Amino acid sequence: MLRRLTYGQSYALLAIVLAAALVASAAIGAFSFTPERMLRYLGEGIGLLPSMAADDLGRNVFLKLRLPRVLVAGLTGAVLGVSGTLMQGLFRNPIVEPGLVGTSAGAALGAAIIFVFGESTALSFATPLGSLAVPVAAFAVSFAATMIVYRLSTSFGKVNVFTLLLAGIAINAVCAAGTGFLSYVARDPQARNITFWNLGTFTTADWRGVELIGLFFVICFVWSLRYGKALNALMLGESEAASLGVNPDRLILQLIVVNTIMVAVATAMVGVIAFVGLVIPHVLRMLKSSDYDFLLPASALFGAITMEVIDLAARVIIPPAELPIGIITAVIGAPVFLWILLRQTRSGSVGFYG
Amino acid sequence: MAEVERVSYRVGDTVILDDVSLSFASNRFNVILGPNGAGKSTLLKIATGLLEPTAGTVRYGERAVSEYAAPALARKRAVLSQRVELAFPLDVEDVVLMGRYPHYGRTPSKRDREIVSRALDIVGMTARRRQRYTTLSGGEQQKVQLARVLAQIWNYDEPREPKYLFLDEPTTSLDVHYQLHLLDVARGLLGYECTVIAILHDIAMALQYGDAFFIMDRGRLAYETRDAAAIPVELVERVFRVRASRVVDPSDGQGLWRFML
Repeated sequence: MLRRLTYGQSYALLAIVLAAALVASAAIGAFSFTPERMLRYLGEGIGLLPSMAADDLGRNVFLKLRLPRVLVAGLTGAVLGVSGTLMQGLFRNPIVEPGLVGTSAGAALGAAIIFVFGESTALSFATPLGSLAVPVAAFAVSFAATMIVYRLSTSFGKVNVFTLLLAGIAINAVCAAGTGFLSYVARDPQARNITFWNLGTFTTADWRGVELIGLFFVICFVWSLRYGKALNALMLGESEAASLGVNPDRLILQLIVVNTIMVAVATAMVGVIAFVGLVIPHVLRMLKSSDYDFLLPASALFGAITMEVIDLAARVIIPPAELPIGIITAVIGAPVFLWILLRQTRSGSVGFYG
Repeated sequence: MAEVERVSYRVGDTVILDDVSLSFASNRFNVILGPNGAGKSTLLKIATGLLEPTAGTVRYGERAVSEYAAPALARKRAVLSQRVELAFPLDVEDVVLMGRYPHYGRTPSKRDREIVSRALDIVGMTARRRQRYTTLSGGEQQKVQLARVLAQIWNYDEPREPKYLFLDEPTTSLDVHYQLHLLDVARGLLGYECTVIAILHDIAMALQYGDAFFIMDRGRLAYETRDAAAIPVELVERVFRVRASRVVDPSDGQGLWRFML
């Protein structure tokens, strides 16, 4: 579909779809808003229009709940899309995504540690970090987990799919056990939080979340755009990339850092959402190209679109209740994952899309 | 001129290269020969600057390889190894464009694009430029990789400066047509101030294409010559642990080798 468009035209098309998805997702839900009402609330919110006292409830729902939620969902989708692209480039494998290589589970464990112990005296060092304690802890554990999986799955500059899967399983199990233990020892509200948040949720989204995820996403995304060429070169293998002037060791470290920062912040805010990072780059490769100079911007846009649609579905499938996001992404993503894995195994693990 | 000066390479107590010094013939086809485990690949890796030797230096002209920044080194020399497989599908011309990565920043210039199409022309893959690399046969893929390294050290246009092409068993797994084609294109570079340094497993082909020969044995340089006919049969027998005989092809007077256990 996108095959005949230039990169610029493809971005424009994706941006238009994203705008439509944002409007739809903001309008539809337990409270429905017409476009005119949303525009008026926006105007009131930034002080362009005088507030109408009679409509306080609607305005509050829209400005304090719906709008931040829609923005957090979009930003999280963009983070996961870009992260999936970076990780697949790094591991040179289409089955990789943050949920598989321990990034998400590590972030969850790091965040859970602060949730449970953050207030206690033992970890009083967390207090000066204030509200950044959760993302910082999420980053630390998540970085360690991803690095371990990468090192274990790589030997002689090649990534072994089976070691990768096994290392991912093991690291994810360790992190899940840690998180499980924490929710077992935690007192009730904390434990319930961990459980909810392990399935991914946008119900707690607020403007702080928008600011934090937005800030780190923009920094990391702009930073990651520099790696398009290097990721392409890495497709040839580590030693070929090195002879093209890429320093693979430094590249790998930088990629894992930039990727983990984004994912850790998003995970700390909205919980674990699997499979989005897997599917986004995959679909874009089939629609257009495997060129990372294209994939990085496109996966941000397409990730945001996808997450808007999923969040909208989560709100309207069983009203007035809400489905956890992680359940929807797993139901759609797991079969896709199996399909990719099967295709890859049949084609002898290389020349995947051939 | 590329020179290897007193290079050693050790891993723990194992000596892989032991005080090797040699200088490759400029603008000639240099061949490194030797049995498995003789240290050929390690020597080549060190000569390309991708591996740091435990002791000794490698120089391109006056300048030590270790003094080059990575992108400058990538514009000076290119490496073609055995078959390269891509995990993801890229168009053929996108793969060749990678050779220009060390030459441009965000977007390729018109000249980069032009070099890509000329490189594809030289290897005879112009018709396939918009095809996906993953759908090509092994021999065609290697032609594309050859075009990529040609684009990387492009030296067909003035002004020229000395460039180096390293071949690390590039013909392994190619049929005889592709083998000869690849070596022909590589030889074609010699007239454009490019020095070729190759590891080849097929001794007969190596002696046919090479201008200078370096025979490695157990981490040392056992023999070097610029005259294929001068290589002693006994040396080849001892180093490769085979019985060998050399006969002369009556049609052109070239030496032909036969090997037996």
